[in-house]
Parts: sequence; C-alpha cells; structure tokens
Amino acid sequence: MSNFEQTALAPEFERAGFTDTSSPSYRGSGAAIGKRGLLLLSWLAPVVLVVIWELAARAGWISPQVLPAPSKVLNTAIKLATTGTLLDDLRVSLLRAATGFVLGGSIGFALGILVGFSVVAEAAIDRSVQMIRAIPFLALLPLVIVWLGVGEAEKIFLVALGVTFPIYINTTLGIRQVDPKLIELGRVQGLGPFQLIRRIVLPGALPSILTGVRYALATAWLALVVAETIGAESGIGFLAMDAREFLRTDVIVLSIAIYALIGVAADAIARLLERRLLAWHPNYGASR
Amino acid sequence: MTPHVSVPPFSPTIEPPAVVVSNLSRAYGDRVIIRNLSLRIERGEFVALLGESGCGKTTLLRALAGLDPIQGGRIVAPRRPAVVFQEHRLLPWDTLSRNVSLGLTAPDARTRVADALAEVGLGERLNDWPRNLSGGQAQRVALARALVQEPELLLLDEPFAALDALTRIRMHDLVRELVAKHRPGVLLVTHDVDEAIALADRILVMRHGAIAFEHRTNTAGLRISRADLLAELGVASQREGIT
Repeated sequence: MSNFEQTALAPEFERAGFTDTSSPSYRGSGAAIGKRGLLLLSWLAPVVLVVIWELAARAGWISPQVLPAPSKVLNTAIKLATTGTLLDDLRVSLLRAATGFVLGGSIGFALGILVGFSVVAEAAIDRSVQMIRAIPFLALLPLVIVWLGVGEAEKIFLVALGVTFPIYINTTLGIRQVDPKLIELGRVQGLGPFQLIRRIVLPGALPSILTGVRYALATAWLALVVAETIGAESGIGFLAMDAREFLRTDVIVLSIAIYALIGVAADAIARLLERRLLAWHPNYGASR
Repeated sequence: MTPHVSVPPFSPTIEPPAVVVSNLSRAYGDRVIIRNLSLRIERGEFVALLGESGCGKTTLLRALAGLDPIQGGRIVAPRRPAVVFQEHRLLPWDTLSRNVSLGLTAPDARTRVADALAEVGLGERLNDWPRNLSGGQAQRVALARALVQEPELLLLDEPFAALDALTRIRMHDLVRELVAKHRPGVLLVTHDVDEAIALADRILVMRHGAIAFEHRTNTAGLRISRADLLAELGVASQREGIT
C-alpha cells in the first residue's frame, strides 16, 4: 500500500517542481528572442490576422455581405456613436448586466454565507440549490418569457439567475476552506462570532469568492447576449438583431466586437480587484 | 501591586495562582485521556510538561485554553489564557500589527502592539506581511500576540518544535526573558527534554492521563539530570547513564 502511494506521489512532486521554474526546459527557454520578443510575437499573430482580413475584404475575396472589412466596422462604430444610438444601447446593456449582477450576486452571497455557517441551513437549502443549478440556466428562457414577457424584467432575471450560482458555490466553498486552525486561534484570542467572521472567515474565503465573481461576470454577459437577442427594443443585442433584418453585417460584427471588448474589460476589472484585495496572497498579489 | 523582581528559580509569592486545576477528567468515548488530574501553576512560574505522544498533555493544554469542554473537575483561571501553537497561525491577510492586535480591546492597543513587536525584535516591521517572515520570526510574532494580552497564564504548545536548532536556542532566551518580564504562569508542552530542563522551574511528566513524575528545580539552581528525566519518560539509555 505504502509502495503504491510512493509511486503515485512521485510524479506529482516532479510536476510541482516543474511549474515553479518559469520556463520548462523541454519547450526551450526562448532566450534567443527574449521576454519582450515573446510578448511582441504573441501580439503579432492577431495583428497579422486582422491585416489579412482587411486586405482580403478590400481585394473583394470576401463579400461584404459575409464579413465586412475591419476598417468598415470601425467606421460604422464611429458613425453610430456620433449620430446613432450606439452609446445609448451600450448604456442600456451595461445597466441590465449590472442590475442583474448585483441582484444575483447578493442572493448568491447571502445564501452562500448562510449555508457556509450553518449546518442546518446547508441541510435545508443546499440540495435544492444544487438541483436548480443542474438546469442549464439558458434552458429556462422560454419559461422566463412566459412569466415575465420580453421586457427588462426578463433580461435582468436571466442575468441574475446566471450570476447567483457561481457566487453561491464559491462563497460556501471559500467559507468551508478557511483553515480551522485560524478559527481556533480567533477563539483563543477572544473574538466574538461577529469579529470571527469579519477578521478570519471572510478574508479567508475571499480568494474563492472573487473566483466566483469572475465566473459570474462571464455568465452574466452570456445571459445578457441571449436575453437581448430575443425581443429587445434597445441594447447591443437589439442593435445586432435589427441590423440582421437589413443584412448590415458591419453592425452585426460591431455588436459582437463590443460584447467581446466588454467581456475582456469585465475580466480585467475582476483581476484588478483580486490584485488589490488579495495583495497578501502569494498567488494573486503584486509582490511586495 | 508591588513590582516583583523575579529571580529564577521560582520563589512563591502571595499573588493568586495563574491557574488551578482540580480533579480534571476528559474522555473520548471509552478512551480516558485525562484522569483525575490536579495542577496548580503560580504566576511567574514556568512549568514544562513532558510525556509520550498520546499521554494527554495536548488534551490538557486544550482544556486549559478553553478549546475543549471538560467533563469532570474544575479549572479556575482568573482570565482567558494566551496560547502559542506549534504553527504560528498568523493571519496571512493582515499586517504584523493587525495580527498582534487581534482580539485586543485595550484603549492603548496601538502602543501596546508596537511595544510587543519591539520586544520580540520586530519593532521595525509593524506593516510587513507574515509571508515575508522566516519561521522563527513568525513564531516571535505569535509570542508577541500572546503576550500583548498581558495573560496571567501562557500556554505554549510545542512552539519551537518546527524551528531549526539555532533558532530554537535564541527563542529559548527570548521566552525566558519575556516571561521574567511579564510574569505569566507558563505551561509548556514539549517533546524536548533539553528544552524542559533549560526553561522550566518545574517539570512534569505525564503518563496515561495523569502526572506521573514531578521535579521542582531546587533553590540552588540544580537541575534534574537528563538521564533521570529520560528514564522517567521510559527511555532507558546506557550512554545517558554516564552524565
């Protein structure tokens, strides 16, 4: 038995050692180009792709009906932003996402705290939540439309639904993972229940909670795209669906690009939050 | 209260004791861990508790710390004791000063924290993070966190076991110095016979949940020989007999 464990563990150790070194030797160190060279190279590929796309579009190899040139999309963006409703649509979309996120996030966090702290609450709530979670939340869309129609409520509900579960799961997980030895220390130092939660449990659970926030941002965005594609009268999704009727592929590509950009921005904000709030954590914080 | 100049070895005073344990019992199911144990530790007295693994010494410490409920007997301590564990148990998300002030409610907390960290030689690092500390430094902060509460009873649960030999010796000196200054009653749980001899005014050996042997360092400062103590612990060594 112990023999088996040893052989099973040995490669683990080796791998752990490997990740520590910044450049695994079997891939080459990349020393010939240097770190900045590698960074440059990583950006070069996407830029070349866009350039090829632009050239192919201008040369007429790709029909504008299929895929307009990037420069055309950019022009459309400027035109819609100055004379059209682009900024309004963007504002509407962001507001929907934010409202749904705050609602779903609060519910998920509150339930997570409850279940994390109380065995009774866990017994009462957790199984039901896990069952609902098993449903792909987008599959609920037809039902949600029957309940709430295709107005704002439906869109916000869908976003909130998508956000609740990742926040809930990661909050309970984070609370459970707090080192019991630190909780014991808190008791020895005479902390009351409230202080124990504020000084030890929540900070200990924070890395996991922030991971939940990042997941939730992604699902919030996905929910918004789906919700806005169906029966919206404003918003980025509406812009795309409206453009579809007139075969304005430039507007459709623009909408897709905006969704992508906001997704990237949301992730960047989440990362920034992690760096700021987890400055103490060796895996997240900027080295200090 | 008159200021005491404590000259080790320990001399009894009229102060109330740091803790009095009478007829303590503790069992897990059918397994009796502590049976009918009585113990009194005076303020300023340094007691080392030795014993094989599973003899109940950690259980006793946890009962004194209020971490485990007791099933029989009484523990009378004037105030909540402070504990230093084998691991430093610093909160990684708090600076050293926030760590030391954890649970401290005194109005002059700031200066007391600064003083406590200065006492353990880390006065310059109030705003540093635990992860920048070596093992010995982290354990010094844990000691500061315990002493800043001005405890009447200080419980040390093998606090030096994870340190390298040189660091351990420095820690012994520091602990001796700080205990002489703050004068809590100390209960040190340890595996290290030499550590017990070096630090304690009184050495207890626990066996099967009871105190099987007690040695008080006499006034001449003569300490028990290592061999006698090892024999009490059931380690009979031919070579040790020579010393």
